[in-house]
Amino acid sequence: MRKIYLYLPLIFFFILVIFFARQLILDENPSKLPSVLIDKSFPPIKLNQLSSYKLFNAKNLLSSGDPSLVNIWSSWCAPCQIEHEFLMKMSLEHNVKIFGINYKDDNKDAIEVLKLNGNPFYAIGTDEDGTQVINLGLYGVPETFIIDANGNIRYKHIGPILEYDMNNIILPILNKIKRE
Amino acid sequence: MRIIILNFLYIFFTISLVYAQENLKVNNIEAKELYEELRCLVCQNQSLLDSDAPLALDLKKLVLYKLEQGLSKEEIKEFLVERYGEFILLKPTFTIKNILLWVAPFIFVLFGFFLTFLFLRKTPVSKEEVFTLTEAEKEKLKKVLNKDIIE
Repeated sequence: MRKIYLYLPLIFFFILVIFFARQLILDENPSKLPSVLIDKSFPPIKLNQLSSYKLFNAKNLLSSGDPSLVNIWSSWCAPCQIEHEFLMKMSLEHNVKIFGINYKDDNKDAIEVLKLNGNPFYAIGTDEDGTQVINLGLYGVPETFIIDANGNIRYKHIGPILEYDMNNIILPILNKIKRE
Repeated sequence: MRIIILNFLYIFFTISLVYAQENLKVNNIEAKELYEELRCLVCQNQSLLDSDAPLALDLKKLVLYKLEQGLSKEEIKEFLVERYGEFILLKPTFTIKNILLWVAPFIFVLFGFFLTFLFLRKTPVSKEEVFTLTEAEKEKLKKVLNKDIIE
């Protein structure tokens, strides 16, 4: 026992093993940034109208009295197209109010996507030069925020919402907020 | 002929140098400093200055705009941290939350010194002492040696 310090490198090594194993097992993607806006109110942003679609603004975000989603998407973003199906499902089958922010897109292309794949959005706004979504801490499309009835951001989903995410993350959180 | 080639080479290389300069040119020194201190969130270990990702270009534009509006560097950093979190700063702030990050290297060095000290202290320093045999031991040795030789 007197020479315990000889074992210190070994002990240190095992501490490192535990440290790295944690990261491996938990499978957290360190490049995904947790939002600092959680539990803060949805920031005021100025969006433009997309054709004749209802414009997304601060008023109609708060109008529903239910938690809603704010989805940032583009026609040029491939994961957004994959996600679209599940946004449709949530909007139609689960009655989720989804607000869309069309990011750095061509209006024509955006409209074409909505005509082709359906429109899951209750209201849409466009951010052509990408300056407004900086207030949301956006760093890649798609990103989706869950907003509660009081207009507070409760959750941020980075990347596309796939079937698993919809059933195991987004819908449960929406239900949980509703029950509050 | 030689002169023509030399001229051609001369023009070729100066043009590329000018182009490179043009690319790097950031008029505003403050802006450049800020670009270097801010992380591009798309290519996450690059600074804004190094990055040409669309978001990085947008953030650079925003930084420049804010500087023109008269905001200080600290205010701009604060603005971005409020939206993106401290991760956007390439150099972490020196706060209680980050204290371990800053202090850990020094702790490890001190720990190393401590271990070295322990190790050196416990290893006996070889003193050049001369051990001599006592008379009794000499007798005993003689006996043993003689016995061996006889046998």
